[in-house]
Amino acid sequence: MIVFEHVGKRYGGRSEALADINFRVGRGEMLFLTGHSGAGKSSLLRLIMRLEKPSRGRVLVAGHDLDRFHLSQIPYYRRQIGVVFQDHQLLFDRSVFANVALPLEIQGVEPRESARRVRAALDKVGLLYRETALPIELSSGERQRIGIARAVVNKPSLLLADEPTGNLDPQLSADIMRLFEDFNRIGTTVMVASHDLALITRLRHRVLRLREGRLVGDEEAA
Amino acid sequence: MTRRTTSPESQRPARRGARASQVGLESRTRAWLRHHRAMWLDSAQRLAKRPLSSLLTMLAIAIALVLPSGLWLALDSARLLDAELDESATVTVYLDTRLDERAAMEVAARLRDQTPVAGARLVTAAEGLAEFQEGVGLEDALASLEDNPLPAAVVVTPADTDPDSVRVLASNLEAVDGVDEARVDLAWLERLRRLAELGQRLALALAGLFGLGVLLVVGNTIRLAVESRRQEIEVVTLIGATHAFVRRPFLYSGAWYGLGGGVLAIVLLVLGGHWLSAPVTALAESYGAHFTLPRLGLGGSVLLCFCSTLLGWLGAWLAVGRHLADIKPR
Ligand SMILES: Nc1ncnc2c1ncn2[C@@H]1O[C@H](COP(=O)(O)OP(=O)(O)O)[C@@H](O)[C@H]1O
Ligand SMILES: [Mg+2]
Repeated sequence: MIVFEHVGKRYGGRSEALADINFRVGRGEMLFLTGHSGAGKSSLLRLIMRLEKPSRGRVLVAGHDLDRFHLSQIPYYRRQIGVVFQDHQLLFDRSVFANVALPLEIQGVEPRESARRVRAALDKVGLLYRETALPIELSSGERQRIGIARAVVNKPSLLLADEPTGNLDPQLSADIMRLFEDFNRIGTTVMVASHDLALITRLRHRVLRLREGRLVGDEEAA
Repeated sequence: MTRRTTSPESQRPARRGARASQVGLESRTRAWLRHHRAMWLDSAQRLAKRPLSSLLTMLAIAIALVLPSGLWLALDSARLLDAELDESATVTVYLDTRLDERAAMEVAARLRDQTPVAGARLVTAAEGLAEFQEGVGLEDALASLEDNPLPAAVVVTPADTDPDSVRVLASNLEAVDGVDEARVDLAWLERLRRLAELGQRLALALAGLFGLGVLLVVGNTIRLAVESRRQEIEVVTLIGATHAFVRRPFLYSGAWYGLGGGVLAIVLLVLGGHWLSAPVTALAESYGAHFTLPRLGLGGSVLLCFCSTLLGWLGAWLAVGRHLADIKPR
């Protein structure tokens, strides 16, 4: 699903944010990406989302060399990836329902079909009863779950999450991780960046360890 | 294989299973129209939500449009006046005072036969005196004269009203036997023409300048709108919105601003026309011309609205294009 071949990333003239990264992720896998703040977790995810180009090496996702994409193809590529952010990135001027419907609106899905899928996604994260609420009225845990609903509403084959539990207490964090495991169980490839080692060790999935831009560990699921 | 032989769809990353068959051309077109309709409404609602600032922007556009279109209208009416003046471009040929009426008629006939002459009307000495008396109101003084001091005259209408050819015609006519003098006063006509030409260029320059002004006004407004929706743009770009999708609401806003500005400009032109029409008509009458200020008319109004809408759209397009490049999702 994901292949990194000798990938390096350098921002401007500074030292490398990522250096000689090599790994493969199979279809349907679930794995964590860990390391201290500044280790390069977000940079790695941004390469997969094609928000940045590698300075060196190749990134392949679902068989596509991301370097080969024409600029106009990138949006269509991104539609196949669901992304969850630490700060959830919800739009505060519209309802929960409209937020979750956004990816479908972008893809031009028919309203009726769209409503059906939005409700299914909201149901999955247990927040169907809040569909008319505004994001401002939600707790941070609920917001994060809405962010997840938005990421999975178009059934992406790949789900990325960058510190999805960063602001949450352990109980809520565990709930969020369980959600990711649910999606993984139905075949979605899931990659979660997190520095919450306690949580990660408990969950027993493959872990990629980054330190100062280098891949220093790749532990298979215990 | 060249690029052209592969369809754009096949260049895109393949979609999975069921969705690929669903996304046919027809449903894509329907989705496209749906988004256009949604953005058309959404942008109008956004403008309506802040009526005062929207109105001010439209007013700024209207003011920029009023000046060149007002001048254009004025020139259009000057062209009408010009046509009327062309008919009045005549050469007055004064005949030798020693000629009697018979001889005068012969000369008039000869003048009529000159090539570039459209018509020649003889004004005998007696008729000339009568016209003069009527015009000046000196019946008594002139009646006391024993001899008629006025020569007979022939008013010649040139076939070609171009100032240069009229001048050539006049000197030819002067060479005809029995003609004393051919007089043509073209200076003011020429001056008027030059003025009209100047006005035309001025209108064009103003139209260009103020058109640019409209672009800037809309561009600046849209720039602020883009800035205020920055997060939204970043998010939709992250989840796969195309540039066209992101640009669309702003283009509609720009078009709305332009259209609103165009309508306001028409209102201003109509009001201004009413306000000016009475003095202008009176002024024209004092010169013996009948002239009313021209109206914009339906065609002109539609054209003005079309142009201003297009300008608004273009201004938005330029602004969004420039600022989207700056906005890159974090
Ligand atoms: N857009 C950027 N421009 C310049 N430097 C950046 C940028 N993004 C990240 N970096 C640098 O790259 C390194 C890795 O950052 P990041 O990928 O955000 O790590 P993490 O997500 O693990 O905290 C850091 O040193 C950071 O300062
Ligand atoms: Mg980070």
